[in-house]
Amino acid sequence: MNNEIIVVAELSDNRILPVTYELIAFARALAAGDSAPVRMIVPGRETHAVARDLADETGLDTIALVGDPLAFYNAETWMTAMAARLAVRKPRYICIAHTSRGCDFAPGLAVRLGASCITAVEGFSRQDGAARFVRKIFNGKIKMDVTPERDTTVLTVLPGAFKVEQKSPRAHLAGSMEVLKIPDHPQKIRTLGVIPAEEQDLDLALADVIVSAGRGIGAEENLELIRRLAGLFSKSAMGCSRTVCDLGWLGYKHQIGLTGKTVAPKLYIACGISGAVQHIAGMRGSKMVVAVNKDPRAAIFQIADIGIVEDLMTFIPLVMDA
Amino acid sequence: MKILVCVKQVLDADGPVRIDASGKWIEEAPAARFRMNRFDEFALEEALRIREGFPGTRIDALSAGPARAAQTVRRALEMGADDGIHLFLDDERYRMPFEIASLIGAYASDRHYDLILAGVMAEDDMQGQVGPMVAEILEYPWATAVMSQKLHKTGDGPDASGTIYVERELEGGLREAFELTLPALLTIQSGINRPRYPALSHVLRARSQALITIPASRPGETDPVSFPAPRERIQSLEEPAPMKTGVILSGNPSEKAEKLRQILQERAFL
Repeated sequence: MNNEIIVVAELSDNRILPVTYELIAFARALAAGDSAPVRMIVPGRETHAVARDLADETGLDTIALVGDPLAFYNAETWMTAMAARLAVRKPRYICIAHTSRGCDFAPGLAVRLGASCITAVEGFSRQDGAARFVRKIFNGKIKMDVTPERDTTVLTVLPGAFKVEQKSPRAHLAGSMEVLKIPDHPQKIRTLGVIPAEEQDLDLALADVIVSAGRGIGAEENLELIRRLAGLFSKSAMGCSRTVCDLGWLGYKHQIGLTGKTVAPKLYIACGISGAVQHIAGMRGSKMVVAVNKDPRAAIFQIADIGIVEDLMTFIPLVMDA
Repeated sequence: MKILVCVKQVLDADGPVRIDASGKWIEEAPAARFRMNRFDEFALEEALRIREGFPGTRIDALSAGPARAAQTVRRALEMGADDGIHLFLDDERYRMPFEIASLIGAYASDRHYDLILAGVMAEDDMQGQVGPMVAEILEYPWATAVMSQKLHKTGDGPDASGTIYVERELEGGLREAFELTLPALLTIQSGINRPRYPALSHVLRARSQALITIPASRPGETDPVSFPAPRERIQSLEEPAPMKTGVILSGNPSEKAEKLRQILQERAFL
């Protein structure tokens, strides 16, 4: 069995997204145990230069997977292009970002390769030489250790879960760069392009304090209380979990999390937020986290600096009056 | 036109979630409440809206699960699905996404669905794999995390063809648009619609309508719908340590509120 680890780079406008460096750090840690080689795949129409830079910077051997069909992301082309090359290489692990696109093509790629598939990976441990991958279930309430059974495993790694070590020094030895051209055009999916976000709101990005509401607030009318709490602070803004947007209580521009905004305020007050990994991924960088939730087992308490197990509707008025 | 909607029954995680004696899955406490995965409710609602736009469309709702999953299939009928299919698993063991996808794939392979819908993920295991895996098994094109769709159908019956325009959700409020050739599979992101409450007429119909129950056999057996060997194994489940660095405030509610204000003042937030 080959012990190679492949990292699939994620690009936007032909630029490497930061999550790619997290994947590299993850792959290197994973490789360290059995000194496995780590290689990068950089898919896109013309990624030669980007792949060359990555090889120089990281010292990793890099494959530029190029061709007109890869001009825009598309599950079919991404998967077909990669599966053909990976089926030959038979790597041990394929590391993909747990982003919207990563989640779109990774499971299909695993099926095509007959590989194991483990998504939303936050880390790993080793037992008897075998890697066990850690992920969370039930809104973060339970931690799950999973091992693959197949020779190849597709992993999607949660953004933000695996920190990049100090800006690592430029590699002494540049990695090699190989170009593979993809001829095949997609047959069943036509890409029509990216649609910009509807309304942009800078409030969340600029706020020192974010007061955020989750489903635990119970009812739309209780938002008023959250709003008043936010009003206690200067330079504050209202955020929320995805569920609150889905219920129509607040617009999606307030959503914090993997698919919403990523914020890093000085103070984050999570009100009735369960703490699913999708939400945490968007606020992990907050300097101080205060969590109020009546469920003492809510996952949000795992990352809170100050935890308060109380009912919001009784507790917030007390804070306002204290 | 024929639509298949995959619905999963999940344990309601608003209640207590405890690890079972095997340490490999979640205990089914007597008071445990099971319900339809919320993401699948959005998928089913979207199918119902497509049927409103294309009269004559039939919607099958399918769930793979133990005996209790029949309740969730029935719930789908109450919401308005035409037929309910229960891929019956004879124990309550947790199945990995590829196992479930293989079952659904085997069931759907000769049934010519024009469109298959599922939720973007399940609330319990949060894997988000079954949908795209079913698509790949059936060689359907797919799009995940779909936030809007528009179907273009030409002709009807087995010779029908068409495309579906979809917008899928990217990070930071962006979307990307695709056109998929039918048959296709979509996983539906929450918020695409407001799932309806069952209408009384559907509830009454669902009460008397029989479900189509298909036993799912063990690996290697040659029933129409059988399992592959699992490709991943759960080694252990664990409740994460309650808190890494922080403190839980103690006292009565007023004391906690006073402490919180003090802390916020010390840090100059107030």
